[in-house]
Amino acid sequence: MNLKDILSPFSVWKRAVKKPWTIKEPINDRPGAENYRGFHKNDFDKCIGCGSCEEICQNNAIDLVPVEGQETKDGDSGLRPKIDYGRCCWCALCVDVCPTGSLTMSNEYTWVTDDPEEYRFIPGADETKWQEEKKGYKRSEDIQLINYDRAEMLEFEPKDRDKSFIEIIKGYNKEQAMAEADRCLECGICTATCPAHMDIPAYIAAIRDDDIENAFRILYETNPLPEICGRICTHNCETACALQNQGEPLAIRWLKRYIADQISPERYKEVLGTEHLADPILNKKVAIIGAGPAGLSAAYYLAILGYKIKIFEALPDAGGMTRYGIPEYRLPYDKIEEDIDYIKALGVEIQFNTKIGKDVSLDELHNDYDAVFAGTGLHLGRSTKIPGVDNKRVYFATDLLREVSLGNEIDVAETIIVIGGGNVAMDITRTLARLQNQKYGKVQIITTSLESEDIMPADREEVVGAREEKAIINPGWGPKEIEIKNGKIKGLHVVKCTSVFDNEGRFNPKFDQNQKKFFAGEMVVESIGQGMDLSYLSEDIKSSLKLGPRGRVQVNENFQSDLKWLFVGGDIIQGPDVIHGIANGHVAAKAIDDYISKNM
Amino acid sequence: MKKIINRIKEKIEIVSLKQRDDLYFINVKEEHIIFLLSYLKEQEGFTHLAFLQAVDYDKYNMFQLTYMLYNYDIKVNFGIKVIIDREKSEMTSIHKLWAHAWQYQRELHELFGINFPGSPRVDESFVLEGWEEIPPMRRDFDTKEYSEKTFYQRPGRSTNDPKEYMKEKLYKNFVEPPKIRREDD
Repeated sequence: MNLKDILSPFSVWKRAVKKPWTIKEPINDRPGAENYRGFHKNDFDKCIGCGSCEEICQNNAIDLVPVEGQETKDGDSGLRPKIDYGRCCWCALCVDVCPTGSLTMSNEYTWVTDDPEEYRFIPGADETKWQEEKKGYKRSEDIQLINYDRAEMLEFEPKDRDKSFIEIIKGYNKEQAMAEADRCLECGICTATCPAHMDIPAYIAAIRDDDIENAFRILYETNPLPEICGRICTHNCETACALQNQGEPLAIRWLKRYIADQISPERYKEVLGTEHLADPILNKKVAIIGAGPAGLSAAYYLAILGYKIKIFEALPDAGGMTRYGIPEYRLPYDKIEEDIDYIKALGVEIQFNTKIGKDVSLDELHNDYDAVFAGTGLHLGRSTKIPGVDNKRVYFATDLLREVSLGNEIDVAETIIVIGGGNVAMDITRTLARLQNQKYGKVQIITTSLESEDIMPADREEVVGAREEKAIINPGWGPKEIEIKNGKIKGLHVVKCTSVFDNEGRFNPKFDQNQKKFFAGEMVVESIGQGMDLSYLSEDIKSSLKLGPRGRVQVNENFQSDLKWLFVGGDIIQGPDVIHGIANGHVAAKAIDDYISKNM
Repeated sequence: MKKIINRIKEKIEIVSLKQRDDLYFINVKEEHIIFLLSYLKEQEGFTHLAFLQAVDYDKYNMFQLTYMLYNYDIKVNFGIKVIIDREKSEMTSIHKLWAHAWQYQRELHELFGINFPGSPRVDESFVLEGWEEIPPMRRDFDTKEYSEKTFYQRPGRSTNDPKEYMKEKLYKNFVEPPKIRREDD
């Protein structure tokens, strides 16, 4: 044993003259390791208040609380985690599960205070000295508690689908659906964003439990058109999904379709418990104008409530825009029928080929029925009004799509130009591409829009799909003039569109007149938006209504107009899309029930 | 190290093998484990037992034990993995090979409920004095439930469900799904 070994224990004596470590003088010269699991940090810009941290915490140490300045909005509950350090064991499961990556840990590990209540704090809101600390624990890439990749969806390859109207998406099988449902965190943030406020986490949980009948019942609570919505819903819910922050959002729409596809139509009544729904139990009648999503939804919920319902439809089949606007390759007609047949089976009568204002007047409906719901949709095309649009080979997309659905033949040109960048433009592009393929064996169609690629309103998969089917999508151009020679269209002159919206977000396109282009083609289709046909409102009725900008009928939050018996909803009020129509119909049904009950 | 692996292969069946430069893992059958450990210790220079750990695969009704050995001469870590039946949860003790193994075995007995008959003081508490639940590292042990019933909540706590909170804030007038109206309603 040497001298050092004997003396070294005495070195601790040097502390004898130092002040002890106390609240006022804590140990502060021993930083935690680089990846130390110290006190929590939360990046409020990223956090969406989904509560996954609270859910996974094995010590029940986390509460979700409102925080001043954090707004509750689409995709963000406005709640933030508050951690009780009396319970936290620094296991970091909350950091590992966080779907936004907002929650991390610093390497700070000393915190001295004489007030135990301070140890319950909201990282990110309560000021802490470690909020800006860069070091500390973060989820490493190889730890994945969440599966960020979607279960694969099978679809027909372009070569197998581009000549026919066969449904492209094949749908999930049980295994795929279970795998996809398993990704759901059940935070429920999507429910607020869905216009119908569907209980999405509940029906996905039912898929996971393989209780499809229960899932189906949950769908019908807020949406009586699940086959339709499961295919072509605009799925706003998916843009709010917590998973989309670091990966692919849950395929909510495809899961809805999976549920609806599992129950065969003849079992609907049995599963939904409407087998014994006899004739309408109330001696009250409601007329509905238009068998589109809004009208069908109102009809369904009113039928459940015991009303006698009659729908007046101008066209020969039900479904509205879902039938006459959306092509069959996205939504097969027999699937629309499944939804509608069930509503009819509840006693709802639909009178086809009957136009209100022409065959029957609105006044007659008012006299014969206790209330009227109008969901007449946007079936008129809107024009760019550029020189040349009065040529007979210039069409509206809505008209052509309707003709195709009616089974009428279209005089398809060999070269076509479509103007528009929304889903309807993609629908007509891909429809015409198929017809060109059938007629000419090749596709020569150019679709152009004001909006550049990054701000095109169409769903991404629609743009990709159209290109796969050999249509040319060339966005970012403003139409200037259709060139016509001897009455025949030669093509479309366009100029570069530099911006579509001004700083206040208003539609106010700017062009660079020096950048020109010419698209050759013999036929032009305009698809820049739809208008409504309110010709069924007589002058007398119109004068009793409040009309807003663009002639829109003003309604209260229950979709009731100034004429108390007249309710209006769907695309002519909100949207345009299917799910707003369904939501409107549901709310209006309740309001109509209240209105009629009051007058009984 | 390759030669060592080959020599093992001559003697027993290796179920699977995984390797890095300084770290090898092999899976072997339960009946070969004692032989293999003695052989590696006595003949191949793996004189140090670094740790003995377990993983609970309750879905497959098995535990996986990992014996981590170290060779000071060639500076290689060698993990020997073996699957044992979860129902039986019993394994031959190796305290005669490495005296300090009793402590690891005592730990596994407490945390996973795996017994090592003959291992000194294996029944004694390791860190959990007075533990009355099922062994806490078993997957069927519900940590959350245990923490909720054992540790009281500090008063004044409250939490919110994001879905309900957003409904309250954003769409209070939500129309609840209608019930089918019947004659007697």
